[in-house]
Amino acid sequence: MEGRITRMTTTETSTDGPAAEGPMPPLPQPDPVTQFFWDGVAEGELRIQRCQNCGHYLHYPKVLCRYCQSDDLRGERVSGRATLYTWTIAVQPFHPFYVDRIPYIVATVELDEEPGLMFMTQLTDCTEDDLRVGMPVEVTFVELHPELTLPFFRPASDADAKASA
Amino acid sequence: MATGQRVAIVGCGYSHVGRNTGLSIDDHMIQATKAALADAGLSVGDIDGITSVGTEPLNDAWLLGIEPVNWWASGMMAPAFSYSATQAIAAVASGFCHTALALRVIGQQPSSSALVKGAGANHPMTSMLHRAAGDRQFIVPFGAGSPVQWAGMFTQRYMQQYGATEEDFGRHVVTQRYHASLNDDAIFRDEITLDDYLDARYVSKPLRILDCDYPVDSGSAVIFTTEERARDLDQPVVLVESYALNAIRDLHFEVMSDMVHTAPVQTAKKLWEGTDLTPADVDTAQLYDGFSIIVFQWLEALGFCGEGEAGAFVAEGNTRLGGSLPVNTDGGACNVGRRHGANFCIEATRQLRGQSGVRQIPDAEVAVWTNAVGPFAAGAILTRG
Repeated sequence: MEGRITRMTTTETSTDGPAAEGPMPPLPQPDPVTQFFWDGVAEGELRIQRCQNCGHYLHYPKVLCRYCQSDDLRGERVSGRATLYTWTIAVQPFHPFYVDRIPYIVATVELDEEPGLMFMTQLTDCTEDDLRVGMPVEVTFVELHPELTLPFFRPASDADAKASA
Repeated sequence: MATGQRVAIVGCGYSHVGRNTGLSIDDHMIQATKAALADAGLSVGDIDGITSVGTEPLNDAWLLGIEPVNWWASGMMAPAFSYSATQAIAAVASGFCHTALALRVIGQQPSSSALVKGAGANHPMTSMLHRAAGDRQFIVPFGAGSPVQWAGMFTQRYMQQYGATEEDFGRHVVTQRYHASLNDDAIFRDEITLDDYLDARYVSKPLRILDCDYPVDSGSAVIFTTEERARDLDQPVVLVESYALNAIRDLHFEVMSDMVHTAPVQTAKKLWEGTDLTPADVDTAQLYDGFSIIVFQWLEALGFCGEGEAGAFVAEGNTRLGGSLPVNTDGGACNVGRRHGANFCIEATRQLRGQSGVRQIPDAEVAVWTNAVGPFAAGAILTRG
């Protein structure tokens, strides 16, 4: 599940990884508060900020825990398991990079670590017909471009096993 | 009833609203203000408070010649016109000022097709061509960040949670368009059928283009004053019975842990706490329709129907003129254009004055108007004075 980076190509004829040609993707601008997250992505780990005082997770990362006002916050590796809360099929691009990538599935998932800990992502390795609220999903790291790898989610592998059993 | 002095609405006005009007933000502010002053029978010398979303109130006051300014407020991260309105109401009720001008001025936002060609690169809400900083680094790289996407997710969650259908939203859209067909000021006036709705393209499935308000250049102004002053003016008096403004988080719709029960729930609770009136007393509801799902959230939050029942409530004809609770009788922002909340306050006021022409609800005495969804919301209950 983790540690594996899938390369996603824009056309079926591409065979050697994502093209560096064409529009640049919208890139993140890491800062001291968020660097841990992107370091984790580079290492194939999903890391979420966690308060070392009260134990709550925080996403998006901040400089203060909103539950206990502690500033003792650290990025921690999480399981990468989640349930699907909702989704939408993006059929209209809002960035040049995504013009040739529609349709794609934008989704919000609830991470297993804490009720209400939501993570916005894209879903991959599934079609619209596969989707239902509450379905188990797991993180997978997708290289969209040599300069952009993102944590996407896909149907959980053990769910597939249950479904076929 | 709200605390402090009773507040009345005495003037309403719009600028020349339309697509790519070529008019500046100042032009729209000035036109809307002059229209509202004329409607009220007031002059700029009568105004001593100014609130705005979309312009700088002190610049506006200087430009218009309003002095002294005894109250001003401006909102950026704010629920559109309802922020200006509730700040104006609170200022008049508390006595900070006696007569407040509430403004919402908004330029037409860049389209998707313009954005992908590089337009709007420096627009704070649409900038996607640079590195995404702050919270947006977790949104924009994922191909997200457009309001239609959170609206699509809100709609999908609602449908999944309650078994609602796309037809449910379609019937609402058809009903609103019927109301617009009766409104000379609406941009879209041709009636449509449910099939027309189902044939319309998706922008972020299940959200269709007809579920979205229509981007325009617009300026809207509403003047609030004390009941005492309102009684000396020519217009029928419309009173603020109850008003509320609230936020439940920062401006991230896309990671809300409950996308079905959002800020309208708290706003509705406060609105009813501020009055002895009940949902059964309301003659018309003007409910923000930035996206169709928002109207459904408000219908349920305000208690006009049960949870998950908005689709059936609409299907039964309740929200259509002649029904038990006509909703968005001007056609809503999907049809009159994005006036970002103001048209709901203005149509509610006109209904209570008896000035809605062929759309007039007979003997309308109580109206509710609302604005926004998700992280924040506001609204008011109005009565015929």
